[in-house]
Parts: sequence; structure tokens; C-alpha cells
Amino acid sequence: MERELLLEIGCEELPASWLPGLTNQLAEVVVAELQGYRLAPETPAETFSTPRRLALRIARVPERQTDLEELVNGPPVSAAFRPDGTSTPAATGFAAKQGVEVAALERLQTPKGEYLVYRKRQRGKASVDVLPQVLGGTLRALTFPKLMHWDAMIEDGRGELLFGRPIRWLLYLYGGRVVPFTISRAVAAQSGEVQDVTTGAVTYGHRFLATSGRAGHTIKVRSFDDYRNRLLENFVVLERSERHDRIASQLDAKAQRLAGRVSRAVHSDSGLLHEVPDLVEYPSVVAGSFAPEFLDLPDEVLTTTLVHHQHYFPVEGEDGKLKNAFLAVINTEPDNERTIARNAERVVTARLRDARFFWEADRKSSLESRIERLGTLVFHKKLGTYKEKAERIERLADWLAREAFGASAEIAALAARAARLSKADLTTDMVREFTELQGTMGGIYAREEGLPEEVWKAIYFHYLPIGVEANAPPARVDLGKAAVTWAAVSLADKLDTIVGLFAVGERPTGSRDPYGLRRAAHGVFRILVDLYELTGLRGRPSLGMLLDGAREQHGSRSDVAEFMPALRPFMLDRLRYVLDQRGFDVRNVRAVTHELTLKEIVPVDSRRKLEVLPEFTESADFQQLAVAFKRVRNIAKELPADRFEVLETTGPVLMWSEAAEKALADEIDRRKPAIESAVSSGDGYREAFKQAARFKPVVDKFFDDVLVMDKDPLVRERRLRLLRRLEALILKLADISEIVAEDSKSG
Amino acid sequence: MTFQDLILKLSAFWASRGCAIQQPLDIEVGAGTMHPETFLRVLGPAHWNVAYVQPSRRPADGRFGENPNRLFKHHQFQVILKPSPDEVQQIYLDSLEACGIHPRQHDIRFEEDNWESPTLGAWGIGWQVMFDGLEITQFTYFQQAGGLELAPVSAELTYGLERIAMVLQRVDSVYDIEWAPGVKYRDVRLRDEIEQSKYVFNSGVDLPAGEFGAFHRKLFDDYYCLAEALLRSGLIWPALEHCLKCSHLFNILDASNSIGVTERTAYILRVRQLAIGVAKAYVEGTAS
Repeated sequence: MERELLLEIGCEELPASWLPGLTNQLAEVVVAELQGYRLAPETPAETFSTPRRLALRIARVPERQTDLEELVNGPPVSAAFRPDGTSTPAATGFAAKQGVEVAALERLQTPKGEYLVYRKRQRGKASVDVLPQVLGGTLRALTFPKLMHWDAMIEDGRGELLFGRPIRWLLYLYGGRVVPFTISRAVAAQSGEVQDVTTGAVTYGHRFLATSGRAGHTIKVRSFDDYRNRLLENFVVLERSERHDRIASQLDAKAQRLAGRVSRAVHSDSGLLHEVPDLVEYPSVVAGSFAPEFLDLPDEVLTTTLVHHQHYFPVEGEDGKLKNAFLAVINTEPDNERTIARNAERVVTARLRDARFFWEADRKSSLESRIERLGTLVFHKKLGTYKEKAERIERLADWLAREAFGASAEIAALAARAARLSKADLTTDMVREFTELQGTMGGIYAREEGLPEEVWKAIYFHYLPIGVEANAPPARVDLGKAAVTWAAVSLADKLDTIVGLFAVGERPTGSRDPYGLRRAAHGVFRILVDLYELTGLRGRPSLGMLLDGAREQHGSRSDVAEFMPALRPFMLDRLRYVLDQRGFDVRNVRAVTHELTLKEIVPVDSRRKLEVLPEFTESADFQQLAVAFKRVRNIAKELPADRFEVLETTGPVLMWSEAAEKALADEIDRRKPAIESAVSSGDGYREAFKQAARFKPVVDKFFDDVLVMDKDPLVRERRLRLLRRLEALILKLADISEIVAEDSKSG
Repeated sequence: MTFQDLILKLSAFWASRGCAIQQPLDIEVGAGTMHPETFLRVLGPAHWNVAYVQPSRRPADGRFGENPNRLFKHHQFQVILKPSPDEVQQIYLDSLEACGIHPRQHDIRFEEDNWESPTLGAWGIGWQVMFDGLEITQFTYFQQAGGLELAPVSAELTYGLERIAMVLQRVDSVYDIEWAPGVKYRDVRLRDEIEQSKYVFNSGVDLPAGEFGAFHRKLFDDYYCLAEALLRSGLIWPALEHCLKCSHLFNILDASNSIGVTERTAYILRVRQLAIGVAKAYVEGTAS
């Protein structure tokens, strides 16, 4: 406690989604500030948060700053002294500025000559004198997704203090004593009811609950242990994990009492249990119910109403079916459980009644009949309405199913049907009210209309995948008979969006990606990389082919030459991102996605190469081959690619003067079939890499025995041509020069 | 507590806290924020505390009197505190107590909900106040209005009167609220709701086909021209009122499906330009 630092920033309710990030940030920022002020903490920082507070504790912070010693550079010695040895104004001026005599200056030899320097020694100050600035710096350095003005200032010369929410109190103790600090208020706001915020030794408990006296009274605190205990007495559970566990166990207990369990849908794909601990200081759970007749609504609608709109947990029976019950996490002691539950039930019922109204009204019009109305919904001002988009993806999905996947005409027709109807739910009342159900509702309405599984499920899932992980939804079993039609519709929608928006110049820049093109591209690659697992299809469509198909649907919207060059690096980056996220080595990912053209990007092949590549990259031989290959690439550049093309088609047959040349040429001929066969079939990459790895001795010998850059231009060109051949062959697999380990790269 | 008691209690509470009790703006608006007592007063440096009821028209929420929770016209109790007092959240909670809501017995929470009005060029940071899962108040720290940065910052509290009354009276339909002793909300408002819904959704309105939209577009354009002229003449209050007329006409056009999506954006932009012009002129006027 003697050297303990305790900080609590008391705020008006901070958004729940910010708390996890802010909690981490607080530790980083305070530690950085302390280090910056030469007060490096001796123990790690522990941080905590609730909606109304950000707290930090460091068990031991030094009592004094470390002493500072720094060299202040002065004028060159040559300019500091006259020939007679007396000092010039340059020297006396510098000394005066440092507050010393010229005699107190030292000389320092530097590469640029000899200079006068002043060795400045500053004794460390007591921590209590520096800690106010640490807090000031911390308040300035914390970043928030959105900042607000609240008429606050810090006297640090930087004026107004923006923050995430208004700060109501500051608890700031070092060794149990208050460190003074003040946030002052803007002159324009000053009034009896707008006061400075000064640090103190007090905190506040729960807004409404207190063991004794009126809630909201001040609580005096001496140390962190004291702080935590007093908060708990006053109905604030400081540790997030403890709030989480209390919630989880109460949810289970209450669900059991209802002969059910918390809906698995909520546990797996919504962050509700992750979010609620950040909404409360003193959680408990109450159970409510709604009229059983609402169970006729689709589960998705019930779940969305409860989870997204009310933060309530749906309950399901042992049979996995939803019950007419829900669990609500509240921020208070439950002695009024019934009243609170009744009110919650009233809200849920009102919302469900609305939903039922939409459900009944929407089903009066078929999806097909809604397509006309899509003509009034603008997708993008230069790309037309959703009706036009639906027509494009209808044709594209049909083409993808037949040409890219090799599916039957029957399946292609179903995919086209699904694509045509996929956007129709945008005109339904339900989707207007619950926008997060777009696609899902369309699928459900299609099912209600009796459309086949291949169609309704393709619509239902077509906004997926969103995550790039191998287990991100949808799963093969959920897709059922619709796997192929779904892949065609989902790909068609995303490719159409990407190509269309690039064509009209709407490209993502920096953090700006208003149309979600990056996410769309991730979806494209997730489907392509896992095409077999998701659909059972063995197709290996290249990205170039797919994008060409999508472009055709856009007609002559924009000069292709204009946007394709921008699209290639964008797509390559996204492919690399998806592969990186799969845990493949970054260097290997770069190697298999080197400067490929769009036609050469076959995502599923990239993945297959990456699956075998680690078997080779660790071996010393392969590493050396990588180094050699780097050399090959560097030298091969001397022969321009177009010249190489010409020579290979019309140039002289190669004749060898050196044995090493011939050996390399023979080796290329020998290894070529296995490598080329792997590349063309997409299979046998292990064997292909094995073949490539064997190039090492002949390449080494070639470089040892042969001077590539011979003075005879014909000889030179011949040798370069050979290296170009080798390069081209290996590049079909990967740019293995990317694999060179960091240390040998610098050497 | 009747609906009218609720209004009286809130008025008395905020009067005792130093607010001037104003009257509703006597033209059609979508929210209390559009009242000059909010939209203009939050601009510039002058301190100002005011409270008033504002009947608020949301044409798109009209449900022919059939939906127990949605209304063409509802009532907001609007409070502006400028500058925002440090204890504003506690004062707000005290106002609930004054209406007979005891926070200790309920689950009352401030959940993130930032407010934005594209037509007014205004936005703020704040919360929806949740009462046992029901949003009963929008709480906003104004950051910008009419496209202008605000200093000092005002706190705006917008109580949804019907919702609070439903909770206090434990009724499931807005029409069952007791407005005055022996007088239901239904008696006061139902016919109004039915007829207003028929009007804004152009259902059975005796106008030649296609005339409904054309008529309101023309009104919009006429009011727009007048608002611009008034603004040029330095008549800020009347200019704002005619800007609000345009905003309401836009809402009717929107609710009756008389405008397409692209046009919609253009309408919003036009109203916004007026609002920004009004705000700028107001601030320049008070500065000189």
C-alpha cells in the first residue's frame, strides 16, 4: 500500500462495447506515461471497468523519478573559440542558455567534428510531484470510438479536454494519499451547477443500491483492497469476470427452473453473454414469459426481438425448441423481481405483436411480386436499383453454377431463381423493422411459399459467410441440399457488388469502406478457399474468370482498363488476409500469392500449396534453395520478360558450352512434368515441391561454374534464358524467395 | 397518475429546478427538438433552461388507431438545460421520483444511444434511458445544431409521455391510458389517429390519382421559397417555422410513398440547408 497507485475515473455511463478495449488501453496508457516520466512501475498494472468507472491499480510505483542525464549539443569547437583561446559569443551564448560557465562545458568527438556539449544532470523529483502530469497525460491519451465536448479543460496548454462521456469524479491515490489534479470547466459553462472536477479519496457505489443510508453517497477509500471491498459492499462488482460468472450461473439456474436452457443460438453466434457484463455493475437475472401463441413466429424473429432489441436471453427446451420464456439480466437486487419481469414482459409482448403484424402482412405478397417494388430502392446511384442488381445476380448465379462449378442445368436454374428473389425481402415490413434479418427473412418467406430447399436456403444464407475462419457459418450440414445454389448466389451477390462499385470508382480507402467491400471480398475467398468443404465441388475457378463473369453483367459501365488494375491488388490483399487469418505463415502466404495475375489466382490452390509448404520450408536445403532462387530472380531480370517470350518461341535452340549449363537445362526438363501436372490438376503439390527442392545442387553448381553475365551477348542471353526458364517453372508453384528466413535475408 | 397529472408533475418539477415552462410550438413538428426553444436556444453562449410539452407528428408511425404502441402523433416532454449541470443524471432521476417512479424498485439504465437529425444538421451524444427494458427517455448532450459546434453544451431530456403513462398505469394499449379522471386517451385521440392515418397514407382521400403527391410537393416548394425569402430578410423565427413546415411536408411525402429513394436524399438536404442557414443567421444576430 505504501507505494500503491490507485486511479479511478468516474464517468457517466460508458457504452458497453467500449469497455473491454478501454480497460486494456488504460493499462497501456498509464504505464507509458509513467515510463515517460521516468517512473517505470515495479509491478504490472491491473485495470478494471464497469459502466461508470475505469480503474487502475499498480502495487508498486517508485517514490522518485530516476535521475536524468542528457547531453545537450552546443556549437562546434571550431566556432566556439578564437585562435587565442577565448570563447566566442556562440560558446558564451550556449553556456548562458544552460545557466553555466563555458568552463563547465565538455567536448565531444562526433563523426562531424568536435562539438561543445553540456552534460545536463537532473535529479529525479518525488513521484507525488510528477503524478499529476501522469494523470493529465493519461486523460489526453485515452482514445474513444467517439469523443464528446463537455465543457472541460486541462491546464496543460492544450485547452479543451474531449472525452468519451463526462467525468464525474477522480479517485487518485499514491501510497494512500490524494494526488492533486483538476479538470477545470470552460468559462462559457461556469455556473453554480458546473464545477471543476478535482481528485479525491472517494468513490461512489451503485446508483440506486446502498447497504446503509441513501444511495450515491461518497465512499472514502484508502487502498485498492479497501476500494474493492467498499465497492462490493455498495453493490458494485469490480471484476468483469466475476460479473460474467454470476450472470452465466444465474442464467443456467433460472433456465433450469423453467425446465430449459439458454438458447444455444445465443451462446454460439451472438455476443450477448459477452456484452451484458459491461452493461451492469451488480447483475442479477429475472425470468419472464410471453403468450405461447407468439411461438408461431419464426425462431429467427423471436430471437432477434429478444436478443438484439432487448438484450434478453431466449430459453429453449431439451428438444431445442424455443419456449415462451426469456431471461433478462438486470442491474439491481431482485427483491422486485416480479414487477421488473412484468414490465419486461409488457415490452416484449408489444414488440412481438408488432412482429406478428409484419409477419402476417408480409406474407400477403409473394417474393416474386415484390421484385417490381425493388425498382424503387436504389442500390447505388450509378449502379441502379435493387431490381437491376437482382437481375444481374440472377444471370451471374446461373453462369457461376454452370461454368465455374460445373453444376447441372437444373441446379443452375434453381440458383438463378434464388438469386432473383434474394433481395425481395428488402421491401418487407419485417426487414424494414429488423434490418439484421435481411436475407434470413427472404429465405423464411420463400420456405413459407413452398419453394424448394435449394432456393429458400440459398436466399436464407446468402449474406454469409461473414467470418473468414474455417468454422464460420454457414456449416455444410445447415446448407443441406442448397450448398451449390447457395455458393452461386452468395458469390454472385458479392462479386457483383465488388466489381460494380470498383467500376464506378467507389474504392475503399484507409479505414473508409462504406460499402463493406473488404468484407464482401473476404466472403468471396472464404467460399473459394473452402469450396470443397462447403459444397463438395471440386471446381477450381480462377478469380480472373469470376470477375470477368461479374463484369459482363455490368455491361460497359466503365472502362475496364481503368478499374481492373486497382482491383487486382485489392483482391490479392484480401486473399492474403484470409489466408493469414487461417494461421498460415505470412511469408508462405506471400510466396504463393506473389505477383499473380487475376487469372492465376486460384484460391483453393493457394490453400493446398500452403498446406504442404511448411513440410519443406524448415529444411536447410530448402532455405538455401530459396536464397539461390532469390539470386536467380535478381539476375533473370536482366532479360526482359517480353524478350524472353520472343526467344522461347522464335529464338535459337539452346546449345550448351558448359556442363553446369547442360545439367541445369536437363534438370528443368526432368522436373517440369511433375510440377506442371500439379499446377494444372491442382493436385500433387507435395510431389511438386519435392521436385523443386531437388534443384538446389544443380543451381549451386551453375552459379559456381558459370558466369551468367558473359561478355559475349549471345552467351549471356542464352544463360539468362535458362534462368528465366527455371524462374518461370518455380513461380508456377510459389515465389520461394519470399521464404528466405529473416537472418539470411539481411546477410 | 393520469396523463395530465404526469404533465403537471413534470412541469412543476422542472419549474422548481429553474426552468421556464414554455408552451408547445403551434405548428406541426416531428419532435420537441425542432421548437425554437431548443433548436435556437442551444446555439450561442447564453444560458437557458426551459421545459415544455411538444405534440410530435410522425406520419410514418400512423397505424389507423389499430396498434397499441404506435401513433401518428405522440407527446414529448422536452427539457433543455444549458449549460448541462454536473448532476443532470441525478436530477433526471429525481424527476422520475416526482412522477412516482422509484428507481430502487426498478431496473433503470442509461444505454448508449447517440442522437442525430440529418434534416436539422444536429447530433449529440447520449443514452436511451431504459426502465425495466422500455425506453422512456432520450438523453442527449448536444454537440452540433444547424451544422454549428455548440459551447456550452446543452443537455436535452426528451420524455416519451405515453410510454411513461402506460408504465405508471400498467396498461397494454396507449388508448387505455387515463388522460383525465374518467377520460381515456381513446376518447381524446382515437378518431384523430384514424383520420390522420387515412390522410397521410392517402387512403380514401378524395383527390384525383397522383394529385396527393403533387399537391404536397407544391406546398413544399412554396414553403421552401418563402422560408428562403424570410431568411434573406433576416426574419429568423418565421424562416425556421417555414423550414419546419417543409420538414413536415417531407415526412408526409415520405410516409405516403410519394418520393423515391434518391429524391428522398435531395429533400433532406434541402431542409438541412435551410436549417443551417437559420442557425447561422441566429448566431450572427446574437453576436452583433
